[in-house]
Amino acid sequence: MSKQFCTFVLDRLLFGIEVEKVQEVIRYQEMTPVLTAPDSIAGLMNLRGQIVTAVDLRRRMGLPKNEEGGLPMNVVICTSEGAVSLLVDRIGEVVETEPETFESLPDSVRGEVRQTTTGVYKLEHGLLHVLNLGATLDGIVTSGGSPRTMAAA
Amino acid sequence: MKALVVDDSNTMRAVLRRILSMRGFEVAEAKHGVDALDVLTKGEVPDVALVDWNMPEMNGLELVTEIRKRPQYEQMRIMMVTTETGIKEVQSALNAGATDYLMKPFNSMQVEEKLALLGLIANV
Amino acid sequence: MYGHANNVLQCAAWQNEIMPRVEPSEKIMDGMDEIFIEFLNEANEVLDKFDRDMVELENDPSSRALLDQIFRGIHTIKGTSGVLGLDKLVSISHCGENLLSKMREGEILLTPDLTTVLLTMSDALRQILGCIAQSGTEGDGEFSALVESITAATEGRKAKRATARKPRKTAARKKSSVGSDAAAKNTAPPAATMVAEPAPDPVPAAKPKRKQESPAGEIKTQSEPPAESQVSSIRVDVGLLDKLMNLVGELVLARNQIMQFTTADNGTAMSAAVQRLNLITAELQRGVMKTRMQPIGTIWNKLPRLLRDVARGCGKDVELNMDGAETELDRTILEAIKDPLTHIIRNAVDHGIEPPAVRVQGGKNPAGLLTLKAYHEGGKVNIEISDDGAGINTEAVKQKAIERNLVSPAEAQRLSERELYNLLFQPGFSTAKEVTNISGRGVGMDVVKSNISKIGGTIDLQSTPGHGTTLKIKIPLTLAIVPALIVTSASNRFAISQVNLVELVRLEGAAALSAIEFIHNSPFYRLRGTLLPIVYLDRQLTGFDDRGGSHRDVITIVVLQADDRLFGLVVDEVKDSEEIVVKPLGNLLKEQKCFAGATIMGDGRVALILDVMGLAHKAEVLGEQRSRTNSTAVQKAEVKAQLDEWLLVKAGRKHHLAIPLARVDRLEEMATSRLEWSGSQLVVQYRGEIVPVISVAETLGFSVGQELPPVVAVVVVSWKGRRFGLLVEKISDVVQAQITIDKARQSQYLKGSAVIDKRVVDVLDIDGIIANTCSMVEELETAVGQGGR
Repeated sequence: MSKQFCTFVLDRLLFGIEVEKVQEVIRYQEMTPVLTAPDSIAGLMNLRGQIVTAVDLRRRMGLPKNEEGGLPMNVVICTSEGAVSLLVDRIGEVVETEPETFESLPDSVRGEVRQTTTGVYKLEHGLLHVLNLGATLDGIVTSGGSPRTMAAA
Repeated sequence: MKALVVDDSNTMRAVLRRILSMRGFEVAEAKHGVDALDVLTKGEVPDVALVDWNMPEMNGLELVTEIRKRPQYEQMRIMMVTTETGIKEVQSALNAGATDYLMKPFNSMQVEEKLALLGLIANV
Repeated sequence: MYGHANNVLQCAAWQNEIMPRVEPSEKIMDGMDEIFIEFLNEANEVLDKFDRDMVELENDPSSRALLDQIFRGIHTIKGTSGVLGLDKLVSISHCGENLLSKMREGEILLTPDLTTVLLTMSDALRQILGCIAQSGTEGDGEFSALVESITAATEGRKAKRATARKPRKTAARKKSSVGSDAAAKNTAPPAATMVAEPAPDPVPAAKPKRKQESPAGEIKTQSEPPAESQVSSIRVDVGLLDKLMNLVGELVLARNQIMQFTTADNGTAMSAAVQRLNLITAELQRGVMKTRMQPIGTIWNKLPRLLRDVARGCGKDVELNMDGAETELDRTILEAIKDPLTHIIRNAVDHGIEPPAVRVQGGKNPAGLLTLKAYHEGGKVNIEISDDGAGINTEAVKQKAIERNLVSPAEAQRLSERELYNLLFQPGFSTAKEVTNISGRGVGMDVVKSNISKIGGTIDLQSTPGHGTTLKIKIPLTLAIVPALIVTSASNRFAISQVNLVELVRLEGAAALSAIEFIHNSPFYRLRGTLLPIVYLDRQLTGFDDRGGSHRDVITIVVLQADDRLFGLVVDEVKDSEEIVVKPLGNLLKEQKCFAGATIMGDGRVALILDVMGLAHKAEVLGEQRSRTNSTAVQKAEVKAQLDEWLLVKAGRKHHLAIPLARVDRLEEMATSRLEWSGSQLVVQYRGEIVPVISVAETLGFSVGQELPPVVAVVVVSWKGRRFGLLVEKISDVVQAQITIDKARQSQYLKGSAVIDKRVVDVLDIDGIIANTCSMVEELETAVGQGGR
């Protein structure tokens, strides 16, 4: 069975999320920061009256800041606990993948990226990293990078 | 046709209202004897009152007695709806002026049969 | 509310018997559903009332009216469930009806065991109702043992195996009380079930004729004519109410936004329309909120039964008094306080009220009295639960707290009564000598307290040994839309629920510069003589502890109440007060204890709602060690006026010294480098004046010429209209005490010694100390005066 992925770019890597998990893609919005939250929480935004927590995926994956500038995009995901937005550099196309092109992660991929991806699809022009949504979000609550309050010590 | 259902149980009133309105009755409701007398004085005289036996404030038997004291309700038929099963009880209801009685539990068919007996609806 | 429509329709009996003539069209199905829901609601209400009446009947067994009500309730259930073809309910309620009928005839007298049997019956009926609500069927519950014990009681014999039932008539005349212990002894499950085999001698005419479908053609299609309605209230699905509440929330939000756009142009038609929108929204909001309000009686109703069971379980006799059952609360809040209330009542009976024998010894009525009171006060609901029991044994609490390592023995001795009671709300605390069946269920008062705090409530305990205990709960009326104060800090807006708000303090200029004092590095503000612990919101949020931040041109302190303690939250600015719609934070932010939720502001942006309790905990203004000082200070206003306040300081290492707080202008901690010598006098430049500083240690002759630590504490006092600084090593505490000064140690500088807080302290004679240095001061004045010319 071929699968459709909504793709996005993060630090020149191509990532994908199963299309059916994506609620919508919207432009960057002003956020209200949650100062005491872990670094990877970008803030809260108002999505038509609903309050959505936005996750800075670069920070979550331990990737460097986006030097190219430009505002990130919101990929809004539906979870059982309500909507969550993922901040990404750019949105790609919807890609259809074939199961036989799937492989586990190459050894070269390390760190948080490894924790938050399930594997890659080999596409014609490169690799599509499949985002492991569960691990990505759970990681924020459990380990989630250092909360900013650490400075308080 | 108009009917008055007197019962302290919401459920029972809802059931009777449903059965009666299926047969084209306009249904008014009262929660007990005192309430029923109040409804009667305010509205049109119904063709039939279905009266529960065991109710707070004023029970069914007392209500029947009260109604029969008032000539304006002479034509109104009264059906006692009851689980009181003894001949004595049924007799006392009839003596007090009830036209007929209906035993609980009942189904819609039994209600309709009784209504037909009273000449309120065509035969079932 | 109750199960799914489809499930309800599984009650085939209903379909066959009541609606035999119709094809199940959608509309009719809806109607049947309504009837079933009506039935479930009604039957549950009847049973709740049944329980209450039974308990009351136990206290007043001769009440014919009560017995009639009880009988009628069960009779109604039997009748309606018969019509709906619910056989199990019919057979059980039929048995109960027989028993009650015998009681009405006076053949059987009520005994406690009989009450238990009847209450067990109501539980069984409830259980079946629950099944119907969930699955649409009566379920496979087995009630033959129950039926047997009811029947046995009716027949005035001990319960036997259900199969060995004798014809009723022969047994019926026997005296009743024999059957009283039937329920207790009837443990062996009988062989036959009552459900499979209906009650003996059922209503003869009741056998339903199972007629099957009739032609569908006879349906009258005209809609049900709306008879003049006698019913002034209707039942509404709770889900719908919640949805309405959310929509109103959104409307309030939209209103706020529109209001913001139109504040500029006054007097136009637009602003008139907006004004109307504003009023209507407010009215609608009130209306919808009202639909969600329910009297607290709806949850109190279950308590008589609970109380009876608990009291019987521990061999006590308790009367229940309820006052204010009509007091209304939002249903979410009602739901939230149900469990805590149950727990408190269990506790009161189990731990509070003494066994009858003990009560009689103490000259009390053998039956304990539990009083529930509810009333509105200042936008909140107060619930008081009082018992006339033994009260709280403070010694036992201390012992336990020490055992549990909650406090050290020394600390325990210093605890005030109130602090002691607060220990009861600590996790893992229990004063019961042994874990009892009743309240020893691993849930302590800490859970009660945290549940109450979760809904923005507070709980307070008062107790008089020998006379009883009162718990006072204060809760907000509603949670969904709350009046809030909008503040800014660290370049962000925050909302604070006004439930927690006590007052606002704004300090400018010189006042702002010196407003915040430090004791042990902890900031305080002196609010009308009371030391108010200070929390800097920006520091709590950003984590930067910038001491310099305390020097601001303008200081805005939001005085908040967390628990029963006050603290001051320093914010940048207070914006506005506004009604906000509380929205929950997502799962990812669950751990953020400083925030209770979020809301959307008029400009469409999100603002976080501060969790005052969480913030207080994070800032440790309620913490154990700190709380003592603070709470003493905070409570000062409430405590009897004859207590004096004392500042305890250390000077010369060995000494505890006391200064009457009334004499103290300010407390300062400062770098030693700020002290300067002016001639032979130590001085400090303080708020534009030169203040002489007197070393207390040197004056008392403890440590002449000793090197000062890098940071010292200075107690600023006034004497004859001038300021003086008393240099001490450390400010230890502020305490309240009524002391007697022992003049044996009186000297030029000491008024004598006294015992404060179980410590021997020397009381400083400030006037004496200053007078002694006065000559030097005069010298100094001359010097300064010359310099100024």
